Amino acid sequence: MNLSRILVVDDEPQIQRFLRPALTAAGYDVIEAGTGAEALKAVATQAPDLVILDLGLPDMDGKEVIANLRGWSDLPVIILSARDRETEKIAALDLGADDYVEKPFGIGELTARIRTALRHRNKADAIPAVIETDGLTIDPVHRLVSRAGVSLHLTPKEYDLLLLLARHAGRVVTHRTLLTSVWGPAHAEDLQYLRVFIGQLRQKIEKNPTDPRIVRTEPGVGYRMVME
Amino acid sequence: MAEDDRNEIRRPDPDALLALAEKDRRGKLTVFLGMAPGVGKTYAMLSRARRLCAEGIDVVVGLVETHGRSETAALLETLEVLPRRRAAHRGRMLEEFDLDGALVRRPRILIVDELAHSNPEGSRHPKRHQDIEELLAAGIEVWTALNIQHLESLADLVAQITGVTVRERVPDVVLKRADEVVLVDLPPTELIERLKEGKVYLPDSASRAVDRFFRLGNLTALRELALRRTADRVDDQMVDYLKQNAIDGPWATGERLIVCVGSDDLSEKVVRVAARLASGLNAPWLVVSIERADREVETPERLRGIEAIFRLAEQLGAESRRVIGQDFVDEILKLARREHATQIVIGTRPRTVFERLFARSLPDALSARASGLGVHLVTPDKAEAKRRLPRQVIWPVQGLLRSVLVGLGFVTLTTGVGKVIDTIMPLPNISLVFLLGVLGSAALGGYVSALLAALLSTLAYNFFFIDPLYTFTIAAPHEVFALFVFLAVAIVSGGFASRIREQATIAGTRATALQSLYDFSRKLAGTAKRDDAIWLAVSQLQLSLKRSVVFLLPRQGDLQMAAAWPPDTELDVTDMTAARWTQDRREAAGAGTGTLPNSRFQFRPLLGPHGIVGVCGVSHQGDGLDLNAERSLTAVLDQTAIALDRARLADETLEQAARLEGERYREALLSSISHDLRTPLSTITGAVTSLREFGERMEPESRQDLLQSIEEESGRMSRFVANLLDMTRIEAGTLKPKQDWVDVADVVQSAVERTRRYAPARLIETGIAPDLPLIRGDSVLIGQVLFNLLDNAIKYGGEEAIKVFARRDGPAVIISVTDMGRGIPPEDLDRVFEKFYRRGKPDGRAPGTGLGLSIARGFVEAMGGTIHAESPALKKKGTRIVMRFPDSGTVTNGSPDEPVAYPGR
Repeated sequence: MNLSRILVVDDEPQIQRFLRPALTAAGYDVIEAGTGAEALKAVATQAPDLVILDLGLPDMDGKEVIANLRGWSDLPVIILSARDRETEKIAALDLGADDYVEKPFGIGELTARIRTALRHRNKADAIPAVIETDGLTIDPVHRLVSRAGVSLHLTPKEYDLLLLLARHAGRVVTHRTLLTSVWGPAHAEDLQYLRVFIGQLRQKIEKNPTDPRIVRTEPGVGYRMVME
Repeated sequence: MAEDDRNEIRRPDPDALLALAEKDRRGKLTVFLGMAPGVGKTYAMLSRARRLCAEGIDVVVGLVETHGRSETAALLETLEVLPRRRAAHRGRMLEEFDLDGALVRRPRILIVDELAHSNPEGSRHPKRHQDIEELLAAGIEVWTALNIQHLESLADLVAQITGVTVRERVPDVVLKRADEVVLVDLPPTELIERLKEGKVYLPDSASRAVDRFFRLGNLTALRELALRRTADRVDDQMVDYLKQNAIDGPWATGERLIVCVGSDDLSEKVVRVAARLASGLNAPWLVVSIERADREVETPERLRGIEAIFRLAEQLGAESRRVIGQDFVDEILKLARREHATQIVIGTRPRTVFERLFARSLPDALSARASGLGVHLVTPDKAEAKRRLPRQVIWPVQGLLRSVLVGLGFVTLTTGVGKVIDTIMPLPNISLVFLLGVLGSAALGGYVSALLAALLSTLAYNFFFIDPLYTFTIAAPHEVFALFVFLAVAIVSGGFASRIREQATIAGTRATALQSLYDFSRKLAGTAKRDDAIWLAVSQLQLSLKRSVVFLLPRQGDLQMAAAWPPDTELDVTDMTAARWTQDRREAAGAGTGTLPNSRFQFRPLLGPHGIVGVCGVSHQGDGLDLNAERSLTAVLDQTAIALDRARLADETLEQAARLEGERYREALLSSISHDLRTPLSTITGAVTSLREFGERMEPESRQDLLQSIEEESGRMSRFVANLLDMTRIEAGTLKPKQDWVDVADVVQSAVERTRRYAPARLIETGIAPDLPLIRGDSVLIGQVLFNLLDNAIKYGGEEAIKVFARRDGPAVIISVTDMGRGIPPEDLDRVFEKFYRRGKPDGRAPGTGLGLSIARGFVEAMGGTIHAESPALKKKGTRIVMRFPDSGTVTNGSPDEPVAYPGR
């Protein structure tokens, strides 16, 4: 089996020091870069399957790396970020990063995110015929949603929202992405729409809407549909 | 349209409503008005008070004179009476109304008898009605009593009727602004009856005057005055009511009076007449004095006269204004148009035959041009008419002598010159030479010289040049005519020339004053600091007014002297009280005002665009300020106020900037702390979870490496936390270093060993002088400082060996740490000790916390030492941090060590 190759971009040697043995042990081929320029060069020359990117780099902002990368590659990118850099994190996600992990993080969380991101890449955006999670079934071909065999009635907006989250299942989808895709670019800032519709959606699809299992909130960032 | 009009009328008058709202905040004033003493005002007041008191209303007697009347005293018994203030006055102890006591007690209703009373010297206000005004402003309802003869506008009438001049007077405004007037009336016969029965208190000394006063005719006249005043007030109240309730009524509207006054005796009468007229018409009135623009010379008497008239007019409820102009009539009419006046009141005197022949009187000129305006003429009483004032003295006597000499000189000179010309080449019109002389004396000596020269020239010309020579007789009739023409021409041209000269002089002084004001404002514009502005203003005022000047600025809630000229000026309690009054009320106070006139200074508020910024005091020596001084004072104060306001804004901006800077600093601090804590934390968490998850699948070396990184990062974090705690201790001022005897060699050695434990690869050399004395300090702190310095040297100091030296410098001990790294740019040598200052690595990253050196400085200084950075240190590179511990005593190290080098591993 061909090992997935992961590019770790971080200027802190300590981080590299534990990521390399851990990711190697987890079955990945690890390559390293300490600056943004090195990272871009490595992506171009060494063809990694995924990038783990720290936002604070000495030579350029991590966001710039993503913006540059997205110009010519749709490689999955997972951001390593700190909570006090929330706005940067959201900006990075909006720029096309696939997911994020907050420092300090456990290796299990990181490898889970890596698996999700790689799975999506491997499936190459193919929409599965039927999406199932936590007893919920979504049939995009027939636009049907059912829970435990009972068909649910969703409004068109609710359905669009659910489908968008399902297509990015396991990954975080930012508020902006949800708003612009479902309501249009003019409503990119209308967070209250989203709050209301997510609430309605949870009422219909969740077993216990007060403790949502399917559509999770990523505070301040967006929502994530959990796949088992 | 008609409906619109009606709606317009139905709307309540906003001014009337505003006045009502203003009244709500103030306490109400009730005046018990009587025609004469003894009608029972006090009795009426107290009986009413007792009634209210019985209803449980908080009525307090501030001051009531019972004058030994038992019925009044009996009424007082059940009421609360405020204790009186004892004041020494001309060697006697007086018991006076205690204003401050009343303000502290704050009853709902306060009774203060005898509104017309004058307070003894040294009181806050000279008059009781001013005390009452303050009580009302504080929201206390006041009841007081007044006899009609004390009313200012009636003073002359009362004097006429009764022959008694009343000294204690109350401005009409006080009564006009009273919310309620209770008329206490008694038929005159009954009053006289009471007087005879001894029920009316009268001072013994004035018994004869009293007898004259209490005659039936007098009392009837006074009673009429009192009744009429009360009726007027009732009328006013009705009009107010109608206005407030938007009821269309027949009230007089649009009348407005302009009253022209000067400094003469007649003006007082003009003002009183105008006051009665205005009150009858229910019209606002404006008292104006017109000053000639081309007469700069204002005598102090004249100024005092005008000021007194203005004060009187203001007390009677007028506005006052000083106007400067060339033409009286023109100025009056201009003002009338601007103020929408409908009537003009002026005084006029019987004129002499000469005046009637040669000049049109002011009333004539006014009525000829005042179309549509009513003109009232006030004539003097017979007694006054005879007592004509001497005409205004425009030139001082000294100047007069000079003028005469100039005139004489010029005439003598021209006569001589004329004679010479006449003998050399006879001119047909030699009179032109004389005209030259007249013009010359006009230019040099002014109007008097010109007039004198004109007359003398005429005589000299006649005497010396007209046949028959050397007599004043004239042979040819046409010569007589020519002579008169010459006289006329000489007088007129001389007059003009002197006028031009006068105006040039005035223009000169004005220009100087303006220039100085302009310079002041320019200088002021260039100052941003408060103190500079104040000192500029002080010196400007001192120069232009030639009086002592003080400026007070609010500081920490109180006024404090900011600048004064002369600089040793001191303010006493009265002055300070007046200054505070000015600050609180934003009104002038002190000398020459109605508040604390005992103060040596008159205080004026400095009002900037955002409220009061300070108080300026100008010493008052007898006279008030003349018009020019007043103008320049106002201008300077206005500009200073604006400059101070600007300075205040600038200060606030600076403060804001400092706050912002602080915020940025805190942000940097937080971000730095979060980064410095998170990186080791991330490594530890990551390594631990990796070991747990993938430990079995890892090589043993990898496992070892992860464990080691956990250990190292834990150490890094603990050092950082220790640094933060140290910094906090320094910042909070709780750092209390021990003052032990410290052996420098020991401390250096242990710090070096500690450093080596975490950076075994680095070479550290030490050199310690053998004669090193012990130093006073805290070995733990010095060790920490050295560790921080070594840590920095490792981070920034390149690859070469780090050197630690300790040596003696006189009584002091110097410890230095030198690296051979990049060094520090000279401009940053001091900044490196600032908190969170970090010199980045070549790649731009800041590896350290930015705390090390600032902690080092904090520790060293806490122990009484100094620390500084030197760069380059050696061979044009590197950095040396030098600590110096001062003389610490006489104890030297008992066993001098050899210099020890600790070679790196």
